[in-house]
Amino acid sequence: MKGLVFSIEEFSVFDGPGVRTTVFLKGCPLHCEWCHNPEGQETGNRIIRSRNGCLQCGRCEAEAAAEDGRLRYTAKSMALCPNHLLRYCAREYTAEELVRKIAKNFHFLNKGGGVTFSGGEPLLQHEFLTACLSLLEGKTHRAIQTSGFAAPEIFRNALSHADYMLFDLKLMDETEHIRYTGVSNKAILQNFAFLCQSGVPFVARTPLIPHVTDTPENLTAIARALSSHGIKAIELLPYNKMAGAKYALIEETYAPSFDTSAECSPRTEIFKSYGIAARIV
Amino acid sequence: MGFNRTLRSVPFYRDSHGNKASSGPKQGNLVPDYGFALQNGFETILADTRRMLAETGESPFYESVIAVLEAAMDFADRYREEARQKGNTKLYHALCNIPRKKPASFYESCVFMKFLLFTLRCNRNTHITLGRFDQYMYPFFEGDLKAGSSEESLLETLEEFFISINFDLDIYSGMQQGDSGQSMVLGGYSPSGEDMYNRLSELCIQASLELSLIDPKINLRASSRTPVQRLEFATTLTRQGLGFPQYCNDDIVIPGLTALGYAPEDAYNYAVAACWEYLVSGNAMDIPNLLTMNFPLVVETALRQELCRCASFDAFLDKVKEEIRRECDRLMEAAKIREKDGEFTQKSPYLSIFVGGCLASDKDVAEGGAVYNNYGIHGAGISTAADSLAAVKKAVYEEQICTGEELLEALSDNFEHHAELRNRLLSYPKMGNNEDYVDSLASEIMEAFSAYLNGKPNSAGGIFRAGTGSAMEYLFSAARVGATPDGRKAGQPYGSSFSPAITTKLEGPLSCIQSFTKFDMRKIINGGPLTMEIHDTVFRNEDGIRKVAQLVKGFIDLGGHQLQLNSINRDRLLDAQKHPEDHPNLIVRVWGWSGYFNELDKAYQDHIIQRTEFMC
Repeated sequence: MKGLVFSIEEFSVFDGPGVRTTVFLKGCPLHCEWCHNPEGQETGNRIIRSRNGCLQCGRCEAEAAAEDGRLRYTAKSMALCPNHLLRYCAREYTAEELVRKIAKNFHFLNKGGGVTFSGGEPLLQHEFLTACLSLLEGKTHRAIQTSGFAAPEIFRNALSHADYMLFDLKLMDETEHIRYTGVSNKAILQNFAFLCQSGVPFVARTPLIPHVTDTPENLTAIARALSSHGIKAIELLPYNKMAGAKYALIEETYAPSFDTSAECSPRTEIFKSYGIAARIV
Repeated sequence: MGFNRTLRSVPFYRDSHGNKASSGPKQGNLVPDYGFALQNGFETILADTRRMLAETGESPFYESVIAVLEAAMDFADRYREEARQKGNTKLYHALCNIPRKKPASFYESCVFMKFLLFTLRCNRNTHITLGRFDQYMYPFFEGDLKAGSSEESLLETLEEFFISINFDLDIYSGMQQGDSGQSMVLGGYSPSGEDMYNRLSELCIQASLELSLIDPKINLRASSRTPVQRLEFATTLTRQGLGFPQYCNDDIVIPGLTALGYAPEDAYNYAVAACWEYLVSGNAMDIPNLLTMNFPLVVETALRQELCRCASFDAFLDKVKEEIRRECDRLMEAAKIREKDGEFTQKSPYLSIFVGGCLASDKDVAEGGAVYNNYGIHGAGISTAADSLAAVKKAVYEEQICTGEELLEALSDNFEHHAELRNRLLSYPKMGNNEDYVDSLASEIMEAFSAYLNGKPNSAGGIFRAGTGSAMEYLFSAARVGATPDGRKAGQPYGSSFSPAITTKLEGPLSCIQSFTKFDMRKIINGGPLTMEIHDTVFRNEDGIRKVAQLVKGFIDLGGHQLQLNSINRDRLLDAQKHPEDHPNLIVRVWGWSGYFNELDKAYQDHIIQRTEFMC
């Protein structure tokens, strides 16, 4: 069983309790306009190029092929770069290899922290994900960070192998959800309802995107949904103004329809009125 | 507190050679015995010296000590009169008592300290450190508390002292402005296992937190027994972005110093020199930063002379170790030459008063009067050297993607026509990512260096000690070394002290710490920290603070010897280079000290920015 991993971040401090390593699995069925890991969306692997330090020598481009109007670099492009600026976006691991790598940091992780599987959308590689989670059972604390977009049986199976979940609630209105993420939120909300009664500890999280998710209507709808499930806490993640930083890496431009310079509004008072503690992360 | 420059227009004093007042023959970079001065007062020391002179009959040393003590008291008297005339009655009253007598209050002990720092500098002793301030000052602090002083008022006095030692740094700095040497070491364990961290230690951190000034540079002694709450409190200071505290591990340093021959009670009483060189307090005239082992230069020499003749990597590694030993011999020889030049042989009776052993032995520090007279040799570019050896092992011996000759040609060509080879070299294991393949080579180098050098006699009656520091050599030594097999181009800087190469893409702090705690660090204890940059957003809430403290705890528990964490924001540094006027208070850690970013030469600014590129 092999999986495609586009990043392994040690000491990721915002992805669950304690000192954690976060594994980013490649591929995402959503295309959120504000995505700050665009290289994680595509399911396949590709060679990417960093622009910092580029001499514009053109050697990599000469060895690249055009594809859908984008350049696809080759291994030869990578080898020829004088400044070592090209690399594979992701790396393939077997579950055993990945677990061995994570285990090297147990000294730090197993003092109240653990490992978090994120993405992309980790449930897209659910077989690999559950293989890793099974191997890690009893060895470290296991968390999944998910958009919740998955078939119910996949979601439930993965959850049964996890000790903790970080679940995104982005937009409660289905039309808006489709508009900004490309998919419906029906399955997400179903999975969330399941999570709430599953007994697995979790935290709901909402990215605060100015005038998109941070509207009074949306935050009220989220608060109401949490309240109906008896959930008393939420984490709010202010819009990351560096979100566009990595689009050049994958030869794309960051062009969201919302105003990226606007300040987001946490509106914690809305949550408070529903008896929910909102924590800004 | 007084004792600062009174004429704002005083320029750098330069001698006839154009050297700054702080340069030239002098001793410094040590930890004076402040406790001795404070507990006795100058009159008692003077009386004792007179008595010893009478017993000895004739002693130029005692005579000069008496002369400088009298001159120092005379100076204090003139200052007292000036304070009276200016209406500064508080300072006036303090100077009616000190430095002649033991301070009667915490305030007086702070004035005494300021007086000592000032007069030592007037004596051309630079990089005068503060040592274990929380220990030798504690009796005065505790005395005031018992007499009914509030902690707030004592904190205020402490802060006044801290502020006062930030004055006139333009006169007193060393390599770069901010390199003032005013490091302070807090906490630590006693030989009986007692935790010596006290309420004053805590207030020193508190004062530094509130003031956010570059001096004093705080070091915290920790061990596997240190409560994690203390590390969390110290981490709030890291969050300030001052580049301290620096952590020192008692579990490693004390046995390391003892193994070098320091008496256990002295080893337990260790502090640091200006940056991070481990020194025992109060009785050592060690010169811990005498010369530098340039590890990549040694590898370069071995490559040129031996690579093409070695049939196996192990054979080549043996040649590298031989070259390390030869370089040790050369450095020890160079130490003698520096001594003959008189750099350390100019007498300094005033300093000698505060260096244990001198008065008892009737000898100046320059004559070997101190109890310890050891020399430290830094070890610069350890990661670049280990990475280079790993690359040679892979490329030439295992994967055989090039011959030794081809590798040497690419190096002498600075990779200009060898981009493909360089890319392969860059992709091999690098120190800092917890890969035994390369970390074990670093251990081999350190073993060869320390096993050969440690304990070898120097000509001052002491020994040599091996270390992991680089000081400014991460630029200077690196500039002398051509392209290296790890993919580094000619002249590119090394990582600072005991840190990954600055071009290494790091997996993160957990791997990094493990890479740098594999070797038995007790064997290489001259000093030189692992430095890690952590993005300032990590520190934005209490949860992040707790997690950073756990990193520190992990480092200590794994046997790391010294850790330097920097909270840093790359974008802010870049902006400060473009718009210095917007960042007047931006403080950064340079190598063993913190300074104002705007006051650094661009080469140092660039190094700091470059090491944030792949930061953890």
